[in-house]
Amino acid sequence: MAVEISRRRFLQGSVAMTVIGGMSMAPSNLFSNEKEHGELSITTKTGTGEAKFVPTLCEMCVNKCAAIARVEDGVVTKLDPNPMFPKSRNMLCPRGNAGIQALYDPDRLKYPMIRIGEKGEGKFKRVSWDEAYDAILNGTDKFPGLAKILDEEKDNRSTIFFCAGEGMAEHTFKTFYTGFGSSNWLNHASLCLRTVVSGYGVTLGAYPQADLENAEYIIMAGANRAEAIVTPDTMDFFKRTKGRGAKLICVDPRFTNTAAKADKWLPIKPGTDLAFVLALTYVVVMEELYDKAYVEKYFNGFKQYKNHLYAEEYTPEWAEKITGIPAEDIYEIARDFMKHAPKAVYYPGRRSTFAKNDFQLRRAMAIFQALGGGIDTKGGLVFGKKLPLKGHSAVAPMYAQAEGVDVARAKGKPGYSDCAIVSGGGSWIGFRNRILEGKSVYPVRGMFLYKHNPMMNMPNVEKTAKFLKGLDLIVTIDTMPSDTVMYADVVLPECTYLERTDPVKTFGGPEPSIAVRNKVIDPMYETKPVIDIMRGLTEKISKPLFEITKKYDEDVQDDIADRGEAEVYKEFDLTIPFEHSQEELNEHAVSGYPGAYEALCKHGVFYPKMEEYFKQVSANEHVYYPDDEKAYSVREGKPKTNSGKVECNLANIAKKGVDPMPTWRKEYEYHVPEGKFRMLTGRHAQFTQSGTANNVMLHDLIHENYIWINKRVAKKMGIKFGDMIEVSSEAGKTRLKAYPTEKIAPDQVFFIHGFGEESEALTWAYRSGGNDNAVIVDEIEPVYGGAVMHSTNVEIRKV
Amino acid sequence: MARYGMALDYKNCINCKACEVACKEENGVLLGADKHRIWVGVKEIEGEFPLLSIASNTFMPSQCQHCEHAPCQEVCPTHATHYDENGVVRVDPDKCILCSYCMNACPYDARYVDDRTMTVDKCNFCSDTRLARGETTTACQATCPTKVRIFGDLDDPNSEISQVLRDREHFSLKPHLGTKPKLFYLI
Repeated sequence: MAVEISRRRFLQGSVAMTVIGGMSMAPSNLFSNEKEHGELSITTKTGTGEAKFVPTLCEMCVNKCAAIARVEDGVVTKLDPNPMFPKSRNMLCPRGNAGIQALYDPDRLKYPMIRIGEKGEGKFKRVSWDEAYDAILNGTDKFPGLAKILDEEKDNRSTIFFCAGEGMAEHTFKTFYTGFGSSNWLNHASLCLRTVVSGYGVTLGAYPQADLENAEYIIMAGANRAEAIVTPDTMDFFKRTKGRGAKLICVDPRFTNTAAKADKWLPIKPGTDLAFVLALTYVVVMEELYDKAYVEKYFNGFKQYKNHLYAEEYTPEWAEKITGIPAEDIYEIARDFMKHAPKAVYYPGRRSTFAKNDFQLRRAMAIFQALGGGIDTKGGLVFGKKLPLKGHSAVAPMYAQAEGVDVARAKGKPGYSDCAIVSGGGSWIGFRNRILEGKSVYPVRGMFLYKHNPMMNMPNVEKTAKFLKGLDLIVTIDTMPSDTVMYADVVLPECTYLERTDPVKTFGGPEPSIAVRNKVIDPMYETKPVIDIMRGLTEKISKPLFEITKKYDEDVQDDIADRGEAEVYKEFDLTIPFEHSQEELNEHAVSGYPGAYEALCKHGVFYPKMEEYFKQVSANEHVYYPDDEKAYSVREGKPKTNSGKVECNLANIAKKGVDPMPTWRKEYEYHVPEGKFRMLTGRHAQFTQSGTANNVMLHDLIHENYIWINKRVAKKMGIKFGDMIEVSSEAGKTRLKAYPTEKIAPDQVFFIHGFGEESEALTWAYRSGGNDNAVIVDEIEPVYGGAVMHSTNVEIRKV
Repeated sequence: MARYGMALDYKNCINCKACEVACKEENGVLLGADKHRIWVGVKEIEGEFPLLSIASNTFMPSQCQHCEHAPCQEVCPTHATHYDENGVVRVDPDKCILCSYCMNACPYDARYVDDRTMTVDKCNFCSDTRLARGETTTACQATCPTKVRIFGDLDDPNSEISQVLRDREHFSLKPHLGTKPKLFYLI
């Protein structure tokens, strides 16, 4: 949702927004009210009597698939797919089905709590909401509140930072951050898809979708759509693989479920995809297989790129030595891809940053794709259409005392440079380490954390723990007592997604639509939706914090002298964005479309002419738009960059020390010392990171994660299936059981992310399997500051 | 009266296990890794890294085959296992004495013990939940991301399943046992 910000005035120098990110929860015996686990049987058979049906949107991962909740006697007994949503195409994955167990998880956070033990100990006291808000403002004998911190820091709002995990209500929390006036916002971007979004963004002007419903030839490299489900890609694609219209080349160091669906699987050496793409590009350019008309019309810097490829001699023979992929395969794939272009896709993927060269890899992928003309076209990469929503008002006061990196530089203090470009989500690792190393230009003392679990979600857990222990005030808003919640001073329990209405959202693509998460049942225990939490909190803190601003902010003092306090306070009143209910805000957001709000309440989905277009073809198939109404091509192939061209050569980033064209460097080469293993991490269809770790139903499907070790290597080391293995690196250690398999190379190991929680309040997740981030070294990607996940070498031993 | 069966476009299966969870939530199947009515079979991959046989790594969704000649029904001493009016192999919890003959007789390993109802349980095509409410899909079919399953009446020539079985080649599991399964795997 767009925000129309009412600016107070333009100060001399704006407060720069830096970036951060994460997600999480906390425990004690306040948590689980039924510890007699083991005997738990909490599935509820659906009945045949009366039931209520509520259309909602799933929050078990980031996809936001449409579901219909079945409610019997006030109990949610089943979540079924909502067939009307074009994005999720009438399906719910295992996690979506298991959403009921997130709602009825006995370990849920149920009441507001404040810390009574040592930080990180997980000892809390149940309090009322008002007491919790009061503790945030005034502190307790255990921790200082906002009033004390901001008074000591002379109203430098940036001493408090904010971070949020991805979610539909992230926006609501961010509205609070905007009003609060800190320059430090961190989200999951630098731990997730920052480099891919940015790489495509600067090259094509947007991060496009792939039309896997119509593409004939797909290279899926470092993306695992059979296990890391993305809608509609996963559903569109795997109906067409295996000789049924879509040829799949899977490039992955491991043999994944996606590889099992491939026509060809190429086990590439980790972190060398850039060399693979450069060689593909070399073949296509040298053999002149590219779409000459498209390149002529829509490329900037093609000649320079061509000369660069030749000068550096990025031949398939060169790439074979680096990637381990035979040169003949590279020739064949380059030729086949262009034969099928523009109905050929080098799949952009999502995922976190795997290697230091990830930004350049994404640029090279985007350029390679564009050489075939498969941009903004059916069967290629598509920009699609989006149905605009109306924004709402927010409060964005300017606090003269707030510091930011730009402000610091203007004052002659050293700034910082974790990475070349500071983007809207910050560099989490850069931020954390800077504070740990005492390099921050001002003290950072408190954090507000929404649906974010830094203890699990970023490399080097030991450093994160130290970082959290060093903060004076931690406020967490979450549904579960995560590892991070254990470090909180104040815990505010949010209700789950099935108990709240969230901001309405528009979903772009060839078949655009608007969808909403409607509240299915009332919040359980004393939990609340984040918008209600923000309303209660701002009512408590807005006025007292303004008093501190009045004390230190000369601009505000002058302004009050001119206009009177009441007028000035209006611009600092943090309660304003939360005056309306979510339902009212949603009704306003879609008020430009007649009948939309009613349709969203009834069906959960709306798009113009839905009544006319939406048809059920069979039990499994639905039509959302007629073929000629699908927005495959909206710009006749023209890229969305400012120049309207594919940018091969970015001279402006060269000034920041970044290669202007995708370039292979010696330091990117794959190397594992004798006796060590390259540590790989990844996703799984039954788990969403640490967010679903305590879901009893999903836990049934995967009890714990196992470490993949090559079978022959395991045999040599005397390791059998199920043996306990200690994995260690310079960052730390973790333990989990062994899975010897031929699906991985002899010098690599792999285990899925999201396991190995240390929070005792998580009955099922506690110490179940191993935590990848306990061993992954905190290296950052130099352009956007993304966490590099695949560059750590580890040792393993049987214990 | 119908003769229910299911066709499986098994090449679509990505082994995500949405069907297993949907089945458990719909039918109140007990939690526990050994308690499931449906599952996806995966074979250990053949070959040595990096030379692996892609074709050896298939995903085979499976469940009770609702045999027309069901060995489990034949051995049941109390007639707890029976065919209902739609040809679905059902278990009557009031009659089941947990002798487990059926578990041994089933060539498809489709049965497990429900410790709560003290019944040998298995898939019943959602007969007492979705079908009883007049719905026309099973929970596993409705939720499947890649739409592996087509459920329907084999006696109705116009049903989707009848049409697909006419149009496409298919096979059954262990046909040599003469059990006549009503699950059909599409090639």
